Amino acid sequence: MKKKLALLLSVVMLLSMLTACGGSSSGGKTATSEAGSQSSAAAGSATEAQPTDDSGIPPHKEELIIGTTADINNLNLQKQQDAVNNIVLKLTHETLIFFTNEGTIEPRLCTGWEYLDDTHIRFKLHDGITFSDGSPLTAEDVKFTYDMGLENGLSMLNGLVETKVIDPLTVELVIESYSNEFLISLSSVPLSIQSKKAYESGMDEPYLIGSGPYKLDKWEPDEYVTFVKNENYWGDKKGVSDRITFRPIKEASTRAIALQNGEIDVCIDPSIDNLPDLEADENVTVFQRPGTRLFYLGFNVQQAPWDNLKLRQAVAHAIDRQAIVDTVLAGKGKTQTTILNRGLWSFYDEMEGYPYDVEKAKALLAESGYTPSGKLPILISNESDYSQVAQMIQAMLKEIGLDIEIQVVEPATLKTECNKGTQGLFLWRWNEDSKVDFVYRDLYYTGSPSNYHHFSDPRADELTDLVLTEKDPEKRLQYSQELQTYLVEQCPQVPLYIKDLVIAYNKNLQGTYLYGGGNHDWRFAYVAQ
Amino acid sequence: MGRYLLKRLLLMIPVVLITSLVIFGAMNLTGGDPALALAPDNATEAQVEMIREELGLNDPFIVRYLKYMGGMLKGDLGTSYVTNKDVFKTYMQRLPNTLELGCASVFVAVLIAIPLGIYTAINQNTWKDNVGMVFALFGVSMPNFWLGLMLVLLFSLKLHWLPSSGRNGLASLILPALTVGMGLAALITRTTRSSMLDVLRQDYMRTARAKGADERRVIFRHGLKNALIPIITVIGMQLSNVLTGSVLAETVFAWPGVGRLIFDSISKRDTPMVTGCIILSCVLMSLVNVLVDVLYAFFDPRIKAQYVRRER
Repeated sequence: MKKKLALLLSVVMLLSMLTACGGSSSGGKTATSEAGSQSSAAAGSATEAQPTDDSGIPPHKEELIIGTTADINNLNLQKQQDAVNNIVLKLTHETLIFFTNEGTIEPRLCTGWEYLDDTHIRFKLHDGITFSDGSPLTAEDVKFTYDMGLENGLSMLNGLVETKVIDPLTVELVIESYSNEFLISLSSVPLSIQSKKAYESGMDEPYLIGSGPYKLDKWEPDEYVTFVKNENYWGDKKGVSDRITFRPIKEASTRAIALQNGEIDVCIDPSIDNLPDLEADENVTVFQRPGTRLFYLGFNVQQAPWDNLKLRQAVAHAIDRQAIVDTVLAGKGKTQTTILNRGLWSFYDEMEGYPYDVEKAKALLAESGYTPSGKLPILISNESDYSQVAQMIQAMLKEIGLDIEIQVVEPATLKTECNKGTQGLFLWRWNEDSKVDFVYRDLYYTGSPSNYHHFSDPRADELTDLVLTEKDPEKRLQYSQELQTYLVEQCPQVPLYIKDLVIAYNKNLQGTYLYGGGNHDWRFAYVAQ
Repeated sequence: MGRYLLKRLLLMIPVVLITSLVIFGAMNLTGGDPALALAPDNATEAQVEMIREELGLNDPFIVRYLKYMGGMLKGDLGTSYVTNKDVFKTYMQRLPNTLELGCASVFVAVLIAIPLGIYTAINQNTWKDNVGMVFALFGVSMPNFWLGLMLVLLFSLKLHWLPSSGRNGLASLILPALTVGMGLAALITRTTRSSMLDVLRQDYMRTARAKGADERRVIFRHGLKNALIPIITVIGMQLSNVLTGSVLAETVFAWPGVGRLIFDSISKRDTPMVTGCIILSCVLMSLVNVLVDVLYAFFDPRIKAQYVRRER
């Protein structure tokens, strides 16, 4: 009896060991890219496509399959907000202006633009652009799209007064006042040009008609969404893969295994735990580069006791950010001092800030006059790494005598509470890879709905406006860096870290353009054969 | 029987009404503005207000509930806040996937559990019984997602026999069905064993043996048939559970089922989708329960006789 039991247990253990010891003994490839230039928030391309025959199409696998963390949920460009939708919409639609993965803007549907004066910008469209249904794209479609955007209250069109059609290939935008970032805003996916004719025809889902190199083939919700080449594509540079499919596999380990098993070609956002196995797989490349998504500890500065600057600064000194990066991200991230997303234009991280110093934190706490009494709640979302980070912060603040209570809620609840200003401490993130104004104005400007800090400061508001409107590049840079220094001093948030972008893919993947913020461009990607 | 069935079906109406009120109320009471959840992070106040107005969120709770119920009476379960798609259509798209996984899982569970339950009952208090019960305990205590991942590691990554995820033919059904089925098998095994033990002690079993009937016939003809009622009850309960979706297994295997749909919709505050899916799942569960009751009558003539007497 005992022998049989022992035999059974041995078999179970052997099976467990067999399944647990994953990974090939031969080493895989690890590609890394540094942040590149300061102006390049998005840079980091794996490889360029290498055309090999007369048609310019290299030998390739027919279908490129990308394993994603979430399914698309809405392809109506102006009625959706998720990055996962925007990524697939880049295949099917195009904007007047394109934001490159080198952090610059370039003409896309237009041949160029001209400022007639500070408030009038004229765009000349390419001749011969067609939508996927074969109909021509003209200035009327541009006007139709932007007018619809204004009706839908799209924040990226803030400042637009009117869109004028000058002739079928010329369009003029009238804006309220000069803005350094208005043109970059036009590269936002929701502002992709849509077909007026499709809307007027009364067809179902007219927003699916775009001018991009691919078009939607089939969407089986929560299973896959497939795009095929748009035979009416007008541009010279066409896609290579015949089909591009996005498969949502929410469980990170399953996604990584699917890549190793050859079921998918790209694994978005592999978990830190799976990286050793992926790196050891000779058929997989793990690509890593600095990201742009900033995670931070926020204070509602209108809410006592966090209206006390010294107390906020004491908290900032009490947090060991490197320990958080090492523990939560296994070192795959960067700490930072400034409040601006790393890699954005004018990113400046040289101020002294609040290095980890418990004694200084205790001294500042004493100076603040705050006497710890009762628990101080910290509101966190139930997504991502927040829980682990909150627990570490709780332990660190205990060192200076602050008793923190963690309250976990869903993102919708967190946003509602922060919007109403009922929270005190909170953990949140902000991802921006192109516009500094979308950081300064959205997070710190008086009255902004996403100013969850409820921070209101005339100096900060003035500098924000100057950064947006100053034409002299040197002065503008100076204002931007001054604003960052000022905001760090005022400490409405403690910037914690920026997580590196990590992505794993088939070693033969080519033609990718990977953005630090995760808004990758898959139009020219393919698996070489 | 017919009158009984009609009564059971009519009872579903208050169930649906109460369920819809509870779910609608719960979604309303939990914090979190759906308009803010849908709006971009940097949305203007006007943009958020526009979404609120479009979704009718500015109406008081009772107005929204009555509008919803009014729509439901006309067969309209509303439109998803997130996808703008019809709730009923979305649910019906997912239901076949859930039915496929649910039925396959119960099939796997029954295939493992009933023979094992009978075997352990016949061999009560021997090492064979102990091993069977350890298996049952293992099945109950093993987290679904852990077992799923272990199976994926072995059969997909190591042996390359089966796909690790997705829904693409019979091969892709095997691992999720095994994962869910193993969990279900544990309870069915224990129920089969205890029910069989009760039956094995009955006088009619001794009589059957005394008459010289073959042991296999005694066990299956006289024993199992009489032990089936509690087993059917448990299988029915398990089937009801899996038909409302197995969120963990669906997540691990990227199986596009109802469980994940409801789970995702809750986190996005998609009230029409959550309410509609739960109402439809309630109806489905009630139907399964009615089906189980009918099966009782089929397997146990005494129960059938009760229905017949009532109708007289």
